[in-house]
Amino acid sequence: MIWFIMIATGLFTFATRFIMLSNGISNRPPPWLVDALGFVPIAVLTAIIVPAILLDPADQTIALWDNPRLFAAALAIIAALVTRQMITTIGVGLVALWILQWAM
Amino acid sequence: MLKAQNNPSASQNRSAGSEFWAGVREEVPLIFGVAPFGLVFGVLGIESGLTPWQTILMSSILFGGASQIVFAQLWAAGVPALIVGGSVCVINLRHVLYSASIAAYLRHLPLRWRILLGYLLTDEAYAISIRRLQHEPPGSNQHFHLLGSGMLLWVSWQFATIFGVLVGGTIPDSWSLSFAIPLTFIAVVAPILKTRADLAAVMTAGTIAIIGQPLPWNSWLIIAAICGILAGWLVSRLNHQAGATS
Repeated sequence: MIWFIMIATGLFTFATRFIMLSNGISNRPPPWLVDALGFVPIAVLTAIIVPAILLDPADQTIALWDNPRLFAAALAIIAALVTRQMITTIGVGLVALWILQWAM
Repeated sequence: MLKAQNNPSASQNRSAGSEFWAGVREEVPLIFGVAPFGLVFGVLGIESGLTPWQTILMSSILFGGASQIVFAQLWAAGVPALIVGGSVCVINLRHVLYSASIAAYLRHLPLRWRILLGYLLTDEAYAISIRRLQHEPPGSNQHFHLLGSGMLLWVSWQFATIFGVLVGGTIPDSWSLSFAIPLTFIAVVAPILKTRADLAAVMTAGTIAIIGQPLPWNSWLIIAAICGILAGWLVSRLNHQAGATS
């Protein structure tokens, strides 16, 4: 079953990449669709980011003040905005989390 | 013939090799972000209960970082296959945009080239090669630039996945390496947020991802993503209309 889903989603993913390179479709997608697709990355990634930061991995409840991941993520967001570098953002966030987990 | 000789851009036509290596060179800085991401996927795949072969081959069958992470996480949570597949497909829809944007430069190529370059059309390869295609003089070998950036990314992603699968069991939980996943996405999202519509998409997707947690089959992810896309799109529409009428 997992192989079937993997290959099916793999074919779909290839289709999303190839579709406009095929000669069957000669027009660009309509402007409203281009607008909507432009929001796909930020919407999807935010939906992954927020629970990974706010929910306690142990019991899946919302954790705020006693949550080292929240503060580490805030520092990572600042690092991302200032440096715009992925490696720096990951480094700042992970080191902050280690220090906070040790201190809290 | 004479016309071609007089055409200054024709005399500057770069060789296939020089285009290819320019693509490879310009892609290198992005590998520093992609390699830890692939490593984390390799570790996570094994932790999620995938076999080493399933984890490693997913990196070439899907070849899309965020969608592979989601696949592994949802699969591990015992989510029905249809929801896993639907979530992966929504995440990868964005490639249609890259495909549309780059089509004008590639459509004249033979089918085997378009299949190969379509397969290699990831966020990172697109970001590097579209700059060359749009801003540097056109050349008959310009598609080799995308081949270079795409192949370096592909090779790096496969090696990082394999490395993650091999070392996964030896990394202690206290390192919280899975936290690198939201951090990677923060590095992607934070710098590109510009408009009120972007903020609407982020606030909507983030809120629904939390309050939707009790929904069955982990469907909060796909629902939060679709609502976020709709919210951003609606706000951008309203802004366009306000701009047109004022």
